[in-house]
Amino acid sequence: MPEGRLKSRTFRRIKKKLPGGKTVLHYKKRQPSRAKCGKCGSILKGVEIAQPKKIQKMTKTKKRPERPFGGVLCSKCLREKTKKEARV
Amino acid sequence: MFEIGRLCVKIAGRDARKKAIIIDVIDNNYVLIDGETRRRKCNINHIEPLNKVLKLKKNLSHKDVVELFKKELDIEIPDKKSRPKSDRPRKIRKTKLKKEEPQPEKPEEKPELKQPELKKELKKEKKETKKPAKANQKTIKEKKIKKAKKKN
Ligand SMILES: [Zn+2]
Repeated sequence: MPEGRLKSRTFRRIKKKLPGGKTVLHYKKRQPSRAKCGKCGSILKGVEIAQPKKIQKMTKTKKRPERPFGGVLCSKCLREKTKKEARV
Repeated sequence: MFEIGRLCVKIAGRDARKKAIIIDVIDNNYVLIDGETRRRKCNINHIEPLNKVLKLKKNLSHKDVVELFKKELDIEIPDKKSRPKSDRPRKIRKTKLKKEEPQPEKPEEKPELKQPELKKELKKEKKETKKPAKANQKTIKEKKIKKAKKKN
């Protein structure tokens, strides 16, 4: 029997084949949800999804697109925003 | 809409929300811009025109554009290239320092010319050691043949 904390479905289950032929269950943490635009809620592109520990090791350019409001707003919303500001 | 001297704002990319002037019209779709942004070719769809048009000469250099922005728009464009590279502080690892100290001394003691000479010497030595062995083998073979002849 697995440990009590592993019996709930909070962990992802992966079947691994050992070299001897046996199959073993491995428990892994689930992937966090994708980053979304703060205005329209669409999924942001160019933003990596991973456990926070792995994201800590990544370079800054991998974590978000290199533009103002990168990783917060999608490109469409940024365009609308800048256009509105420019027309005033 | 997109004529020479038109002030505009960049909408897309890492220069987004920065102001620039159209310096040249390249194509139906492309213009050359300069200003707060980098000096670059740019798609018309990536700029938003403003209602200000400046009078320009043809083929303005980046220096002239910087002056123009200061005079007409009160926008100062920092000069990025003036900063020398050596000013940036860099971390040096302790482990690397220990290794680097002995390395520069070694090549001074051994100039490059010596190495091929050494190799040649080594080769000569090898040849000398090999030759007698071969000679011995030959002599042994001859002796064997002589013995065989005698028996016959
Ligand atoms: Zn959006």
